[in-house]
Amino acid sequence: MAEVTIEKLHKSYGTVEVLRDINLTVSDGSFVVLVGPSGCGKSTLLRSVAGLEPISSGHITIGGRDVSALAPAQRDIAMVFQSYALYPHMNVENNMAFGLKFAGTPKDEIARRVGEATRILQLEPLLKRRPKELSGGQRQRVAIGRAIVRQPKVFLFDEPLSNLDAALRINTRVEIAKLHKLLKATIIYVTHDQVEAMTLADKIVVMNQGRVEQVGKPLELYYRPANLFVARFIGSPAMNTLTAELSRDGRSVSVGGVGLPVTVGAAAAPGAVTLGFRPEHCSIGKAGVPAKVDIVERLGETGYVHCRAADGTMILVEVKGDPELEQGADVRVAPAAGHLHLFDGTGARIPEA
Amino acid sequence: MRKPVSAFAVHGILALYTALALFPIVLVIMNSFKAKRAIFNTPLQPPMPWNFDPIGYVKVFGDSAISTYYMNSITVTVGTIFFTLLFGAMAAWALTEYKFRWNTALAIFLSIGIMVPIRLGSVSIIQLVSELNLINTLTALILVYVAQNLPLAVFILSEFIQQIPKDLREAGRCDGLSEYNIFFFIILPLLRPAMATVAVFTMIPVWNDLWFPLLLAPTGGKQTITLGVQQFLGQYITDWNAVLAALSTAIVPVLVLYVIFSRQMIRGLTSGAVK
Amino acid sequence: METAPPRPAQTTGIVGMSSAAYARVLVFFLAPAVLVYTLFSVYPLVDTIVSSFYDKQNDGSYVYAGLRNFSTLLSDPTWSKPFWNAFWNNVKFFLIHMLVQNPIGLLLAALLSLPVLRFRTAYRTLIFMPTMLSVVIIGFTWQLILSPLWGIAKMFLQTFGLGFLFGPWLGEESTALITISLISVWQFVGIPMILIYTALLAIPDELIDAATVDGLNQFQAFVHVKLPLIGPTIGLVSVLTFVNNFNAFDLIYAMKGALAGPNFSADIMGTLFYRVFFGNQLQLGDVSMGATIATMMFLIILCGLMVYLFVVQRRIQRYSF
Repeated sequence: MAEVTIEKLHKSYGTVEVLRDINLTVSDGSFVVLVGPSGCGKSTLLRSVAGLEPISSGHITIGGRDVSALAPAQRDIAMVFQSYALYPHMNVENNMAFGLKFAGTPKDEIARRVGEATRILQLEPLLKRRPKELSGGQRQRVAIGRAIVRQPKVFLFDEPLSNLDAALRINTRVEIAKLHKLLKATIIYVTHDQVEAMTLADKIVVMNQGRVEQVGKPLELYYRPANLFVARFIGSPAMNTLTAELSRDGRSVSVGGVGLPVTVGAAAAPGAVTLGFRPEHCSIGKAGVPAKVDIVERLGETGYVHCRAADGTMILVEVKGDPELEQGADVRVAPAAGHLHLFDGTGARIPEA
Repeated sequence: MRKPVSAFAVHGILALYTALALFPIVLVIMNSFKAKRAIFNTPLQPPMPWNFDPIGYVKVFGDSAISTYYMNSITVTVGTIFFTLLFGAMAAWALTEYKFRWNTALAIFLSIGIMVPIRLGSVSIIQLVSELNLINTLTALILVYVAQNLPLAVFILSEFIQQIPKDLREAGRCDGLSEYNIFFFIILPLLRPAMATVAVFTMIPVWNDLWFPLLLAPTGGKQTITLGVQQFLGQYITDWNAVLAALSTAIVPVLVLYVIFSRQMIRGLTSGAVK
Repeated sequence: METAPPRPAQTTGIVGMSSAAYARVLVFFLAPAVLVYTLFSVYPLVDTIVSSFYDKQNDGSYVYAGLRNFSTLLSDPTWSKPFWNAFWNNVKFFLIHMLVQNPIGLLLAALLSLPVLRFRTAYRTLIFMPTMLSVVIIGFTWQLILSPLWGIAKMFLQTFGLGFLFGPWLGEESTALITISLISVWQFVGIPMILIYTALLAIPDELIDAATVDGLNQFQAFVHVKLPLIGPTIGLVSVLTFVNNFNAFDLIYAMKGALAGPNFSADIMGTLFYRVFFGNQLQLGDVSMGATIATMMFLIILCGLMVYLFVVQRRIQRYSF
């Protein structure tokens, strides 16, 4: 296993820049998840690491070796594709052995590695089947098996769960997490699903428009998003954001004529800011931002109250049980202390003092 | 929902047309087994023990050249199909998979032949073939037919190659396969259904063609069965037994092949291979 | 590695492959097809067009003649008469296909694509059978059937009380071309049928269900929903008919020989080209004039293709389901 570093990586198609100045270190044995909306460049970044996409400039190293100009097969990587990409005309066993045969691996070595992958992934009953005779989950396991037999330094996963149904997705997610522990492998994993990202990752890389927005541990992104984009992207339902006014002393913001205490200190520039707080970090009470109830969703255990603030911005409040509110009711939304996020005009987080 | 009357009408029309389509073929095959007198007196009667006479077939197969002509046709058709599929698939793969400067221009260049009939170049084809000393050879026929069938083959195979998931080729690259091996070990096996379609579309016109055998290999025992039968018919035009037997000999193998492959052909058409 | 210079931009699109290796791959995959196609299809076509501008001298050499061959073909009575005869015959041949073959094909396809039709596959397979056979075989078969000697056709008409209609259709100037055209229609009706049939199959059932809900009966649904949707296929069928008809040769040669007789009444461009190029009982072969006729055929087919590409295809909307 090995460390992967990406340095000053740029990629463009003609005049369109799809990756801009990517710098990233994936430490040995860690599980890094690239996440972002579709078209953010996360798959392109993964494919660049794999060597399936040529890069415009920059360097990629795997285990200290610069692989930027090497063919995929020479990079000691293995990739698990979104569509699994199992060879339809070969059975499971041959699918796993195919690459090794071409690499000239001795027969008994191939048999040993395929046997081991088979054992780890419990593929024995499937070995002689063709891909079309397998269920989605089984295909997924074979695809992982095909990656394992290569004994790569780095595993690359491209949205591997997106073709599975919801129940199987949760199962397979757990399997992948176990596998990571078992193989102690370095894994780079692409997904658009933030739940997958939060549950699997040691480290999450949030990407947007070809740029890295923030790199951090899952809860770090949740509690201390570096900018508005990450704040809105991580967490479900998404964070509420309102325009607000930061006081000169940096100790309060005013929103909808109501002041809320904050602790950014005087170092921050006063004036217009964006205030963010999560639906699960606010409540409906006597004090707080005035709003009118628009729609109430009742899910049983929790309820969601969609309110409209005076300036028309929507605010979502998560409540326990039945909210017992009618449409049109005047309410006040009170964000919980300590869970307020402030962002400046460029969208960057205003750090707490 | 349909009224039974109109269902009856639909079957009536289709059955009538089917009869019209089959009648001449059945008539020829039926009478080819009959004695000359029965052919003329009771043409609509099927062959029976009392009017059976295989004399026509004795004459046809007595003309030893007929079996040579069959072999010629088989050689030309199989050779054409093999090289059309191989060269066509290779070109289709390169045109769909690789980016290069003249890609689009080359694709257009190759597609001209789909619509412009190669026959119009016959004057020069004959000169070319005779300069290459290939007159009266099956090689000449195969080369011309490959050139004739390549454009459509490239077109159909390109559409199929585009349907093969890109991930598969990339999995091959990750597995360390060279571009050649990706084509021969991953793409080519997956193209089998498409190649069967192309083979059927190539086979029939090549087997049935009269023009190029007449121009390029009219004598010297290199005639195809179509030309051979045509020449045989010209010789025996008054010998009805021989004529009917010769016609049947030419009809039956094609129909057998057709019945075997008709499903394949329809599937090829419905899958959008030919638009 | 921090000092490594920026690498040159990838030009090949495949990481880790040099431009030379990439070029080798391209040549390997493309050369066989391009060579065979260019040598045996494009070059002869271009060369034929070029030689239509040359004229053979008495010493056997060829000299540039400009458009002289074409003006000879179109205005010198010894050439223009057979040419225009063949051209107008070919137009008739084409029109008969358009007006008989394609409507019958459409009707059969419409019937075959009806929902819950029994024996669908059997009908389709059997009706398509004649299309599979060699034109030579078809030509002779019909010659036998229409022969007064055998009398099958006459017998047939007599059973319907129409015996008086029978005549030596293939032998008479006034009917030979029409008869041969109808035989060709009989043979090739399978092609429009199968193309239109597959296009009809591609129309989703929901659309017809929607039309039914809207109160259209099956016939109205066909005319107002299906027919507009198969417009592109009908355009394609028409252009295929055009190209094949103006390039036809086999059937007339098989039934009537190169002279396309009686008195050239069944002569079309293909047979004229063959006769002029190879020569026959009446004249010696003429390479230049053969090439000139082939070039004219090429221009006619090109006109048809242009009409299709720029008029028909532009005006017809393509739909994807």
